[in-house]
Amino acid sequence: MEKKERTTNRREFLKVTLGAFIGGTLFSCSLSDLKNPKTMVKTPIRTNILRPPGAVPEEHFAQKCIRCGRCGEVCPYHCIKYFDVLSGGVFSGTPYIDVMEVPCYLCMKCVHVCPTGSLVPCAKEEVRMGVAVINRQVCVTWQQNKTGLMCKTCFNVCPFSGIAIKIDHDFRPYIVEENCTGCGICAYSCIADQYPDNNGQKAIRIEPIKWKKIKEIKLEDIKKS
Amino acid sequence: MKKSAWKRITWWRYAFLAFCFLIIAVNPFLNYHWDINFVQGWFQSIGIGNLWVVSPLEGLESILTAKFFYMPSLVGMVVPVVVALLMGRVFCSWMCPIEFLSVVTDKFLGIFSKKLKYRKDLISLPHKILWFALTTELLLTMVIGYPMFVWWSPPGLVGREIMFYAFYKVITVEVWIVVVVLSLNLFTRRFFCRYFCPLGALLALIGKKRQLVIKYLPDKCINCKVCDTRCPMGIKPSIGESQTVYCWNCAECVDACPTKALKFIWRDDGVIRLKLHNELTTSSTAGKFSSTG
Ligand code: SF4
Ligand code: SF4
Ligand code: SF4
Ligand code: SF4
Ligand code: SF4
Repeated sequence: MEKKERTTNRREFLKVTLGAFIGGTLFSCSLSDLKNPKTMVKTPIRTNILRPPGAVPEEHFAQKCIRCGRCGEVCPYHCIKYFDVLSGGVFSGTPYIDVMEVPCYLCMKCVHVCPTGSLVPCAKEEVRMGVAVINRQVCVTWQQNKTGLMCKTCFNVCPFSGIAIKIDHDFRPYIVEENCTGCGICAYSCIADQYPDNNGQKAIRIEPIKWKKIKEIKLEDIKKS
Repeated sequence: MKKSAWKRITWWRYAFLAFCFLIIAVNPFLNYHWDINFVQGWFQSIGIGNLWVVSPLEGLESILTAKFFYMPSLVGMVVPVVVALLMGRVFCSWMCPIEFLSVVTDKFLGIFSKKLKYRKDLISLPHKILWFALTTELLLTMVIGYPMFVWWSPPGLVGREIMFYAFYKVITVEVWIVVVVLSLNLFTRRFFCRYFCPLGALLALIGKKRQLVIKYLPDKCINCKVCDTRCPMGIKPSIGESQTVYCWNCAECVDACPTKALKFIWRDDGVIRLKLHNELTTSSTAGKFSSTG
């Protein structure tokens, strides 16, 4: 008698669990259509705060990453940092790079240790963490009439100088957006903040790539891996 | 009647716990100061050279929310799942940093009061709650669409806080989760592990038919119930409960039992023995097949 009761109990329990599971999966499926980080939860990724190289699109990133910290532990430049619950909410524990503190030097160590495929191994040139934007009102070279300076720092430091960043006939730098990796070395090294009139402003910032654009690039990579 | 130290399994357990804790505690400093990154991560995923281990629950959550299988994480889950299949929740009792800290705090409090060490449980809930903890956790994860356990899992947080300290010299607010979990031990030993740890629940579920169990020999038992008071999980080995899913194979009871009525055994009706047995009996026929083929 007791045995029978136990089995029915268990069966009941299994039924409820299974039902809940299926319900949950369906529910989460319908939600996933809405899962645009702009509408659901605001992502802490913004100007100069970027995901490490090879990251899957931001709308999938926090779902895949298991916050193991391995990417940060291998980075030889210690550029990867992690959100905590105050700064990141549900994104807490996920990695980011603040290029103004330490930019990414594209050594590509981190992408090879990520166990979940949140960071997908890719070549240096394929990295798209963001895209550099030059503020021509602040850049001393673009303002050479005013400043009388001809700075080429960003061009010199860029790992893809001449490809991602070019110099026009007036020796002014400009970005070739398709080729810029968003590593932030240029933004980090920009000397515009030294110029007294600029009030400590840098002339380059790195904008995270638009969700759609990143998705097009990276979803291909995931499928390949 | 006290066993000598090296014969007591508990001491080996403490040593192993300390060893595991040391790895995740020292490793961030090695990574940061000397760039030795042979080992990376902590118990959400630890990489030792080319061996990647991924915690089953965190891996499962990642798959459930991203709805995408990534081979390395599946492969990484093999080792912990196999260990759990064979030995049940041994991760919890032999490796988990929370268990290490619990043991340390237990011993620490034991300095001031001998009684506190094996004090009575003030609250005890039905063990089944563990399953609800697991299902709620997974449901929540799927409904919200963000893996939940990965950012508040106490074992993971211990590693993360140490890493945060090593790398950025900060301790984040999440450390309170660990503190709360540890202070719950004041009410009931291993309160969180017993009733609310989703990872423990998953490992218990996997280890339901585990090979390594603690066997109770009724004819040796003198009914002193020492084992019942010693069990950190609130199980009663004296009525054979040590073979249920809820036992985490810590062997406290084995050491405590004055008459050796409890012991570790490899179940002989288990999968492995059966397989081996079948192989032995069929090997003669298999030999014939292979020679023709
Ligand atoms: S590519 Fe290298 S420098 Fe850049 S974040 Fe990864 S490990 Fe750090
Ligand atoms: S290694 Fe991958 S899963 Fe781990 S924290 Fe970094 S991005 Fe997340
Ligand atoms: S332009 Fe700047 S951000 Fe882009 S690749 Fe060059 S250094 Fe990196
Ligand atoms: S480093 Fe800054 S100031 Fe110099 S050219 Fe580049 S953007 Fe202009
Ligand atoms: S029954 Fe024994 S081995 Fe199992 S949890 Fe309790 S004390 Fe540990």
